[in-house]
Amino acid sequence: MITTVVGSYPKVAEQGYGTGLIGARNKWQRKEWTDAQLERTCQEITRSVIQEEETAGLDLLTDGQIRWEDLVTPIARGLDGFEINGLTRWFDNNVYYRRPILHKAPRRRGPILVDDYRFATRCTRRPVKAVLPGPYTFARVSEDRHYRSERKFVLKLAELLNDEARALAQAGAPVVQFDEPALGLADANVRLALEALREATKGVKAKTAVYVYFGSLDGTLSALMRSSVDLVGVDVVSDPRTLSALKKTKITKELGLACLDARNTKLESVTELHALFDLIKKRVPLDRVTVSPNCGLEFLPHTQALAKLRQLVKAVRSYRPAT
Amino acid sequence: MLLTTSVGSLPKPDYLMKARSQARKGETSASALRELEERATRDWIRFQEEVGMDIIVDGEQYRGDMVAYFAEQLGGFRQSELVRSYGNRYYRKPIIAGPVKRLRPITVEWWRFAQGLTSRPVKGMLTGPYTIMDWSFNEHYPSRRAATLAIAQVVREEARDLERAGAQYIQVDEPAISTRPEEMDLAIEALGVVTKGLRAQTITHICYGDFKTIGPKLHRLPVDQIDLEFANRNFELLRFFKGRRFAKAVGLGVVDVHSHRIEPVDEVIANLKKALKVFKPEQIYVDPDCGLKTRTPEEAQEKLRVVVQAARAVRESLVN
Ligand SMILES: [Zn+2]
Repeated sequence: MITTVVGSYPKVAEQGYGTGLIGARNKWQRKEWTDAQLERTCQEITRSVIQEEETAGLDLLTDGQIRWEDLVTPIARGLDGFEINGLTRWFDNNVYYRRPILHKAPRRRGPILVDDYRFATRCTRRPVKAVLPGPYTFARVSEDRHYRSERKFVLKLAELLNDEARALAQAGAPVVQFDEPALGLADANVRLALEALREATKGVKAKTAVYVYFGSLDGTLSALMRSSVDLVGVDVVSDPRTLSALKKTKITKELGLACLDARNTKLESVTELHALFDLIKKRVPLDRVTVSPNCGLEFLPHTQALAKLRQLVKAVRSYRPAT
Repeated sequence: MLLTTSVGSLPKPDYLMKARSQARKGETSASALRELEERATRDWIRFQEEVGMDIIVDGEQYRGDMVAYFAEQLGGFRQSELVRSYGNRYYRKPIIAGPVKRLRPITVEWWRFAQGLTSRPVKGMLTGPYTIMDWSFNEHYPSRRAATLAIAQVVREEARDLERAGAQYIQVDEPAISTRPEEMDLAIEALGVVTKGLRAQTITHICYGDFKTIGPKLHRLPVDQIDLEFANRNFELLRFFKGRRFAKAVGLGVVDVHSHRIEPVDEVIANLKKALKVFKPEQIYVDPDCGLKTRTPEEAQEKLRVVVQAARAVRESLVN
């Protein structure tokens, strides 16, 4: 089994790399700091985060999304046509993001995340994956005042995200991941989401993954097994129905077992994680399983986020499947 | 009819903001801070009396975050390191680490202080059990449900003490209530634990809401009055109530708390008249959309003045 994180990591760490980013952002907002000065702080923290992931023993890293305010803003800012608007609740969390509004046909000016990705790879010798919002989720958390058609909006985003995914793969990303939390919503348009995902992954010369978290995958999981990605990441924490669905679904893809609660500080025991591995091993060979927390670790305070990482690695390394 | 009030929080004056940040760094003593909190409370109560508010709030000058304030004083909670709530804003999210217990009354002393300054009724202000649970980490209780119901017991004790102290109005805020549709029944059950048997008028204020989720269940909320934001939704919520018999009182938010713009009195009067086509005058309480703590003290004062002037004008037109 491979260990990884879903994407984000705490931006501040009172018992670690400090809270410098808060002051840096304030200074930058007041225009006392230049973009380059803020970027230097972001790079320092990114380097610390990557080092922590590495020291904790993680196999597949991310850059912790230290520059990201949320999943969609960095991409929306990198495209023409979007305005970043008022605060909105991020799914069922007491966390808020700024809703992008599309005013005209969106256009990608050039690579958005590639420089950040390259920086991250220079911080470590371990593989770093690239993470993007999935086209369907991107559309669901935005407002479309241009196309006024969900289908057109989602497919256009898929095309633009595909350009970015190809660029990231070209920059060396061994895995390009799309986050689709909106697929866990009760009224998700699964068909459209999967059509868009096919568009977004087309010609991407890397392993592709989709991660769905927060909601329930009951009813969607088998469709995901027919999707265009190589790996399907499944949050088995947020809704108990998802694990039941997993037990009933034929798993034909690599499985992302997203199984530590990244939204609660309570630490899972190695024993309970082993019990889950026992169960999963009956459904899919373990060399096709990637284990992670159920979503980005930024919902947790730093100390607990790091504790979850260590526990994840400990559980995987100490696991001896009964044969 | 058309009694005027505020939702809860009012902006803290600069001297108090400064003192709070000094107190956090240990540069100001607790008693010096307390003195300034009392001064600010006194000023806000005098202001509300002067403009003619019917039901007074203490303005929550001594509170920070609406969940952390309670968590800090309850047994069983511990404080976390910083987590981000949005943009560049971070806060300390409480952790439920053991059985939740009320060690002593939390808000009663401040309520007594405030009520001692005015002959008009002062509202008791509490945060609801579901919101306290949803906005905390839970390491102790086996489920979200168990945590919510345990917290409901301590909020209930607090509500009863407020009533015993003489509070005629007790507001229990549940801004998180519509976050998870599948847990809405739990939130209602827990609120029922808090309000059961209270003789005071009970109120709940709901905002940030997905109205599609909460709308059909509003009549089941176990409170006498439901306070909602109407202004920042252009009074579109009125459509929901049209043609139904709504048995509860309604707190009608008539000024937007997120905008700097001061609503003209005539605009609020026109909106109140629209509301009167849907609700009976005795059913309506008039207030701002939400707590005003994010506005400047001056903006808040002007908005409160508009609330009172508009309500008064409509009241007079109804009498004549
Ligand atoms: Zn509110």
